[in-house]
Amino acid sequence: MKIKFKILTGFLLIIIMLLIAGAMSIYEFSRIGKSVRALIDDNYKTIEASKTMIVALEREDSGILLLISGKWKAGRRILQSADSLFLSAFDTAKNNLTEEDEDIHIEKIETSYLKFKDKWEPPIVGTNKENSINWYFTEVHMNFIEVKSEIEALMTLNQDSMHLEASELKEQAHRAIMPGIVAIASALILLVLFNFFIGNILVKPIKKLINSVKGYHLLSQEFNADISNHDEFKILENEIQELIQRLKK
Amino acid sequence: MRTEIVIRHIGMVLMFNAIFLFISFLISLFLSETSAVPLLYSSLIALVFGLFPLIYVQPSNYISILEGTSIVVFGWIATCLVGSLPYVLWSSEFSFINAWFESVSGFTTTGSTIITDIEIIPKGLLFWRSSTHWIGGIGVILFTILILPGSNTSKLVLLNTEMSALAKNNFKFRAKEILRILLYVYLGLTILETILLNIAGMSFFDAINHSFATIATGGFSTKNLSIAYYNSISIEVIIMVFMVFSGVHFGLIFNTVLGKKNNIFKSYIFKVFITFLMAGILVVSLKLYFSDMYPWWQSVRYAAFQVLSLGTTTGFATTDTANWPGFTQIILIYFTIQCAMMGSTSGGLKFDRVFIFFKAIVKQIKSIQHPHAVISLKVDGNSINEKTEIHTMVFIILYLGIIFITTALLTFFDVDSFTAFSSSAATIGNVGPGFGDVSSLGNYSNLPDPGKFILTINMLLGRLEIFGIISLLFIKSWK
Repeated sequence: MKIKFKILTGFLLIIIMLLIAGAMSIYEFSRIGKSVRALIDDNYKTIEASKTMIVALEREDSGILLLISGKWKAGRRILQSADSLFLSAFDTAKNNLTEEDEDIHIEKIETSYLKFKDKWEPPIVGTNKENSINWYFTEVHMNFIEVKSEIEALMTLNQDSMHLEASELKEQAHRAIMPGIVAIASALILLVLFNFFIGNILVKPIKKLINSVKGYHLLSQEFNADISNHDEFKILENEIQELIQRLKK
Repeated sequence: MRTEIVIRHIGMVLMFNAIFLFISFLISLFLSETSAVPLLYSSLIALVFGLFPLIYVQPSNYISILEGTSIVVFGWIATCLVGSLPYVLWSSEFSFINAWFESVSGFTTTGSTIITDIEIIPKGLLFWRSSTHWIGGIGVILFTILILPGSNTSKLVLLNTEMSALAKNNFKFRAKEILRILLYVYLGLTILETILLNIAGMSFFDAINHSFATIATGGFSTKNLSIAYYNSISIEVIIMVFMVFSGVHFGLIFNTVLGKKNNIFKSYIFKVFITFLMAGILVVSLKLYFSDMYPWWQSVRYAAFQVLSLGTTTGFATTDTANWPGFTQIILIYFTIQCAMMGSTSGGLKFDRVFIFFKAIVKQIKSIQHPHAVISLKVDGNSINEKTEIHTMVFIILYLGIIFITTALLTFFDVDSFTAFSSSAATIGNVGPGFGDVSSLGNYSNLPDPGKFILTINMLLGRLEIFGIISLLFIKSWK
């Protein structure tokens, strides 16, 4: 193997190792980026929608209380705006199904909300429901609690998943940083080895050649550098040997 | 010493590891696990470090004893370092010391672990963990010299460094033959156990991992409860049989299979070894039964498994021995110190040395009774010369001395004395589980970091038969 090729191969190996470490870090960092986006897109959106649904539901509850107390106009106005707010938040959650069993939660919210809506959609003012706190507690409030707890379950599901994703982010960050550290440590060791081997393939044969030529020239010893590597130094040794033979003739 | 030749051979050892790391990567890749990239990168690092010296160093047909010793000792250290990379790269749970502990424990076939929940580890990484047992079981260097393109002389020097002189007694073959026998028996037992465990109800993945751990007398399981998870008599029986096989001299197994003279049925030392194990099972069973721990058949079942597991240095568990009566724990500690036979995959003191020790006591008594008589010490028909006898005694004293020193060091780091003693004995014996905080179903994660490091030194000392490492510390006396 030629010296040039040996040095080049050594450098190439170190470069390949560093490049792959870099690629691994980039890959893991891009995964972190994706995970962060997923956190926002998948879970955070649904959590926000759930919070809005709860706010809307509580407003609807206030609207119902206004209707029971005979304030038809104010009650209906609040109920209509809260209902449209609820439905828009519900749509956001329904179109953002990312977790296992999330569809079941959405279905339960829809069913329980329709049941709740059935209670306040028919007229209340001017009927026997007006001023009936008993009706409110036995029929409306139960449905209100049911919808609210279904929304909370959806929120918990997404919060748990978010927590899990955040823990995974810590591991991904670790996996992104560690190849760099390992690559640096390995490159340092390889450089020390490289220096050692370069000394072996370059300096040692040169010294051997110098000593052999000196031995031949000054002490009239037989020329024998004893180069074991099959590279340019071996060729040089053979050439010097031939030159000496020719000079002797 | 030619450092470049040592580095070249260590490079070959690392390339061998790179192959197993790559197989583990393929498993992780196939299962889309998070450990795929760390395993691939570790494989690449091992490959680069393996290739690097091959470019610059010409092969040599001759290896001196100092070079051979250096290759073996530094080869093991380099292997353990590379082996810890996938753990460090995979999870922040693995600090460097934890990863180093797991890797050394794997390669030295100790089987002690710092992992608190094994079942969450990706399968690719679990396969690598079991592979470290399998690679280490037969000796990383032995594996490598099988594929080493060097001369027989260099192979012999490495073989002599890797195996103790006593272990070679029963082989009576040349270096090349010994390697062939070791490989055949090792592969044969692994394949056979995998098939049997699979038939007995273990998944193929678990079967191959447990086979790796059994044949190497390691003890890493893929389950938190070790073998207790399966609660299956047939699985326990299969593992017990293979633990015994793995604790026996491979040359004897090879000769038995081929119907040769020097087989297990003719080997006196094998009979004594088995008698010791049987006596241990009997005594522990009786104590468990009379202490109202279990009904009689369960006493036998648990006692047999635990005695064979510790007596062959494997370290699997079917129950937590931490709650067992003190007497049974002392018996088990005796087996932890005694270890299995020479020429097997087990580490530690080895039964052959204990046997020579007892015979030497008898010889001493006889020489006191008959001062002029010439009394020779024989093991399986082979005369043990005075040099080997003294070497064995020095080894035993040194071995017990190291247990004492490491116990003292561990207690310095506030580890309780029972845990410190049993973990010292369990790690230098390459057994795995100890007692106290590190019992059969416990783990080493709660030990302080310096304590873990001390125990890894113990594991390497036990694996490399102490003198290998110590002799390198006195480099001047080699000249």
